[in-house]
Amino acid sequence: MTEEAILQGCLKNLATAQRELYNRYSPKMLAVCYRFAHNREDAEDMLQEGFIKVFSQMHTFQNKGAFEGWIRRIIVHTCINNLKKNKRFNESLDIVHAHGVQVREESVPSIVQAKQIVECIRILPIGYRTVLNLYAIEGYSHKEIADMLDIEESTSRSQYTRAKQMLEDILIKKKILSKPREKSEWLLAIR
Amino acid sequence: MKESNFYSDEFEQLIREKTEQYKLYPSENVWKGVHNSLHTKRKWFIGSMAFLVTGILFFSGKELLAPSHPLSRKLAAAGTVSTDSFSNDPARSGQPEDNSHANFVRLHPVNSASASGRHPYAADFAITISHPVVSQPDLSELLSHAVQLPGEAPSLIGSNGTPAVAMDKAPENPHPEPGLLDSWLVRNAPENQAAHRTADASRNNAETLRETTENTRETAEAVGSKEAGRDLDADDPYLRGVIDNLSARGTQRIHTDGEIARNASTHQGSVAGKIKDAEGAAKAAVDVIGEKSDLSSANWLHDYAVYSLPPSPSRGRLFLQLILAPTANYRNLSGGMVASSKQLGGPVASVRPGDVQSWVDRAPALGFEFGANVLYRVTRNLTIKGGLQFDYSRYRMLAYTSSGQQQQQTANYRSPLGNTIFMDSINAQPPTPSQNPNISGNSVQATLYNDYYQLSAPLGFDLRVLGNERLQFNIGATLQPSYLLNTDSYVLSSDYTSYTKEPTAFRRWNLSAGVEAFLSYQTGPIRWQVGPEFRYQIFSTYLSSSPYPISENLKGYGIKIGITKPLP
Repeated sequence: MTEEAILQGCLKNLATAQRELYNRYSPKMLAVCYRFAHNREDAEDMLQEGFIKVFSQMHTFQNKGAFEGWIRRIIVHTCINNLKKNKRFNESLDIVHAHGVQVREESVPSIVQAKQIVECIRILPIGYRTVLNLYAIEGYSHKEIADMLDIEESTSRSQYTRAKQMLEDILIKKKILSKPREKSEWLLAIR
Repeated sequence: MKESNFYSDEFEQLIREKTEQYKLYPSENVWKGVHNSLHTKRKWFIGSMAFLVTGILFFSGKELLAPSHPLSRKLAAAGTVSTDSFSNDPARSGQPEDNSHANFVRLHPVNSASASGRHPYAADFAITISHPVVSQPDLSELLSHAVQLPGEAPSLIGSNGTPAVAMDKAPENPHPEPGLLDSWLVRNAPENQAAHRTADASRNNAETLRETTENTRETAEAVGSKEAGRDLDADDPYLRGVIDNLSARGTQRIHTDGEIARNASTHQGSVAGKIKDAEGAAKAAVDVIGEKSDLSSANWLHDYAVYSLPPSPSRGRLFLQLILAPTANYRNLSGGMVASSKQLGGPVASVRPGDVQSWVDRAPALGFEFGANVLYRVTRNLTIKGGLQFDYSRYRMLAYTSSGQQQQQTANYRSPLGNTIFMDSINAQPPTPSQNPNISGNSVQATLYNDYYQLSAPLGFDLRVLGNERLQFNIGATLQPSYLLNTDSYVLSSDYTSYTKEPTAFRRWNLSAGVEAFLSYQTGPIRWQVGPEFRYQIFSTYLSSSPYPISENLKGYGIKIGITKPLP
């Protein structure tokens, strides 16, 4: 079924089209939710809420961009809204200096798996993780992140810098990445 | 969005690439949650069931708590019981208020004179009934209908001159009790009547009273002609009880009449012997006349109200039945002899060996049916019925959705009818490469529901096997011509691998057969029934004229709950 047919079917509230859309995008979107959420159950709750919004707001999609990007934005906003309901999350955003994360040194296969990267991201404190997800993976600017999370733009920048440094350390300690002699060698080191 | 130098940082690019590759497959519950919140079908199902059950409970509760009694209903509608007729106002009745008469019924003889110009003896002519045999409304009903009958109707008229039965107060116990009429007759025996009237009788002469009595009778007959045309529901069990009671009392009273008459004669002779003047003799004559008048009223009740009622129409033949049945629905699949590619005019999926039912995972799902029937009781044990019914049948299927290459493969399939392209990616079996080399990639288990909405007109019979009028065990069978309202259910592909939707393959008109066994119980006018039923769709869901090789026959098991009420 083409994406256009799925869209038309969803606009008609046809269950088969909705199921088709769900099957097509739910695995990716659950991975997105999983990076934000505390655990898998929370991630599935976010996904369910997000897809309900997707289907109920389908008429607002105007074909101006990629359909997947539109769905992804709804899912990300749903995740952020869920996180903001958590008091611990709001407090963590104000912590400029995060506590050190205990990371065990492990030997890992030479081929880096996506799952390991994601799991390393999930080790980060929730504030760091959220900003890193939004900036480095989802592609939001610091200004947009500041608006979404109700923080200062400078806070977002500093959080990201520290999150990135912490993730590098984790990946190195876990021997997922090799410490590069130059920046350009990062990719070579892991491939 | 992102700053332009985002990808300048290769670390970020690495993170982004790797996370994009990562996928997680949600559990089926996530989709169920999404689906349930988007589609209100289930809510509609629950809502309609709740509405039906509430309606049935309300209807049955209303009938049980306040049964629609024909006599009461008639009285209320026609206003037979007027405030004038049953006035408790002593000024109107011309009698002093006497609490000891609280349960008495007074039958005032007709006085042609107006209330203001009543003859002084008219007040003494009241018949007072303590503990009436017939309840106030029923007696009124009986008398109002009885006066239409030929013969001499009793002289019953209100004390204010209104032609009606005057009753001071409704009795506490409206139901007739055996022996009460006897009591009434004894209380109104000539000796007692005479004793009450002795003082006043001396001031009047017998001729005047005789004239009064004659006038009374004439007026009553006139009243009777006005009241003609009002029917009586002699079929009512309660009224029948009243009538039977009256009949029994009346028979007994016939024997008493002679004795009363003899007593009256004796009394007359006694008075004549003791009172030597003309006034005494006149009083005795008045007593006899009054007694005869009273007896005339009682005789009339016996003769006409009991035996001369119009024949009742045949009753208990027609009934209205409301039924509701939660059902578990299933289907039988058969066939599978796929048509050749030449017949279909295009490429077809390969033929699968073996029974089609072994290739698909199916499970029953809950549905319901509700409707109304009109029942006609042919004999004491056999009832035929016909009506209209709505059936909601559904079953579920286990399927597997897939993405990637599988979509491209399934898109190349032709429809079983050869005119529609399969575009689904819903598979009937797990798409493992060993079973289907065309399939690769990830798959997700899914549950599909096939819903069928049908209108049907069941025609059949019920047969009483065991039991009495109150509790019965019955069996029944129906044939149900049905019309399918929706054609958007899934159709299994001819190679049993995929599900798709093919509205043109469905048969709209069909025929189903149903059998049932039930226990029924009578409470008042309502009969309740509950029991299992089985329904089978005789013809395939799909058109036999189409080249689609698979046949599907729906079947359902249910618990039918019904209430039956006699039709007027």
